[in-house]
Parts: sequence; structure tokens; C-alpha cells
Amino acid sequence: MRKFLSLIALVATPLAAQDFSEGSEAQSWNLYAEVPARFEATVVDVLCELSGDCPENCGDGARQLGLIRTADDVMVLPMKNSQPAFTGAVAELAPFCGQVIEVDGLMIEDEELGARNIYLVQRINAGDADWIKANTWTKKWAEAHPEAAGKGPWFRRDPRIKEIIATEGYLGLGLEADETYAEENF
Amino acid sequence: MRRLLPLLFCGLALPASAAEGTRIQVTGEIIDTWCYYSGVMGGPDAVVGSAHHTCALWCSAGGIPVGLLAEDGTVYMVLKIAQDAGSASGDTQLSLAAHTVTADGMFYERDGLNYIVVSEVVTDMDIVNPTHEDYGTVPPFSFPEPD
Repeated sequence: MRKFLSLIALVATPLAAQDFSEGSEAQSWNLYAEVPARFEATVVDVLCELSGDCPENCGDGARQLGLIRTADDVMVLPMKNSQPAFTGAVAELAPFCGQVIEVDGLMIEDEELGARNIYLVQRINAGDADWIKANTWTKKWAEAHPEAAGKGPWFRRDPRIKEIIATEGYLGLGLEADETYAEENF
Repeated sequence: MRRLLPLLFCGLALPASAAEGTRIQVTGEIIDTWCYYSGVMGGPDAVVGSAHHTCALWCSAGGIPVGLLAEDGTVYMVLKIAQDAGSASGDTQLSLAAHTVTADGMFYERDGLNYIVVSEVVTDMDIVNPTHEDYGTVPPFSFPEPD
């Protein structure tokens, strides 16, 4: 009976305290609250998971995706892919909607800001395939926006961003505010 | 003990989170959650408002989740705005980058994160937080030097 109770106590230990860094090869981004994390998870549509609004194929890349960790059923929110280019994780994970995959990257845990179970995914392993890098966002953007081809990073050429800045300015306060800022700072 | 064991197993078998929505109304700023949570661009006060408007556009268009930063400091991950469920690079959320809004919708919580499905943006106050006066632009290169 004593062994049995010990087993129950072990299972009942809060799983949130688990360390998922074992085997991780995640590259540091020198972020204050980063922790390497490698784990197995199922790719889900977050809106579907929470509200029951469930289109086919997790919304075909238009919706935020979650990673429900196999070890503890915690839903991790992957916010970033591995590119330092203002790019999210959905384009990397959308091909694996509903599948169990393994991911490796950085968890962000900052109690002061309320950051919990937030993730930067750097590489993905699906089934028996090799690990793939989670760095395809800019390539997919370029394929979807041939009209915006040119020099410079994607965010300087994106048509929707350019349209908003053309009317609201970089500060978002109107073009006059931008002119004043430029005069004072350049 | 015989009575205790079924209770223990019953508790372990429950789902980690049984999400059930609650209707709420929240006033706050539509923010870029990655820069806010990661600190990659600086402290939380520097990555909101006018200082961060252009970067917020970049991150929203890039598919990073946007959040609604309420006046009490709570962050709600935005999953839908009215009929637009495009929470990854959607048009509606992009048009609201750095705006302060009052939103009516359904609140969900799971595993330490808050989520909101906005049924209606009741009020859009545009950008009301002139943080560029204190921080310049964040990151600085988001405002390119004029030719």
C-alpha cells in the first residue's frame, strides 16, 4: 500500500513543474525569460479548442495554432518562428494541423508580465522525418506576394503595411506628426 | 482510504482545462504580444502606443498573435474580431494595431493565458498613447531616416 500511495503522489505532482529542456538544441535569443524546451504535442486551432468554432484544416493558416503537450495536456501558444523578422509560427505549424509532432525552441515564462506557456519554435519533427527548421515564413510570404518583389526586408515591402503607413504614418498619429518627429530627430 | 482512492483517480482523470466562455467588456490597447512578453525590444512600457506602432504593424502582418492589453495590465490574446477569425495576419486586427478600443466579447482562460473572442469593437479611440515622446520609435529603425 505504501508503494501504491507513493505512486499516486508522484502522479499527482503538478506537471507544470516539469523540465522540458532535456535534449533541446534550441539556440538562445538572449531573452530575459527564455527556457529551452523540446516536447511532443498535438497541433490545434486555438479558437476551435476553446469555443468549438472549428473550420476544416485549422483554418488553413489564418488562425493562431496551439500545441497541446502530450506529457501534461497543457496548451502552449507558439508566437514566433525562428526567423528574426517579425514573423509568427502559424505558417510553420499549419501543415501539421491535428498531427502529433515534436518541437524544439524557447519557452517564455515571466510571471511579472503574465507570460506563461508562450513559445518560440525553432525546429519541428513530424513522424519519422528529419527535423525541419521553422524558418519558412518569409519564403511563403514572397511566394504569396510576387507583386512586392524587390530589395529590403519583407516588412518594408508588404502592401498592407505600406498602405497603412502611407495614411497614418509611422507613429500612427498622422503624416503631420511624422513630419514633426522627423524634423526633431534626424 | 478506500473512499479516498476513487476521488484521487477521479480528480486525475479530469481534463486539464474545461474551457467555458464568459461575456466581458474590456478597454485597452491592441498590442504586439511577442515584443510585450519577450522583452526583445525593451520593457513593456516601450512596446505600446505610438513608439511601437510600426513594429506592431510588422508583427501583426507577420502572423504574431495580437493581444488586448487592458487598463489593469491583463493581456487577452485576440482570437477573432467580429466576423474576422484571421488571428494570424488578419486584416481587421492589422487595422487596429496600437489602437485603444473597447471590445465586447467572450473570455476564455487556459493554462495561464487569457483569450478573447471579440464580438464587437464598441469604441475605437485610435492611438491615444504617445509613447514616442518618451522612447522615440521602438525599434529605432522602424522610422526610417527621410531621404
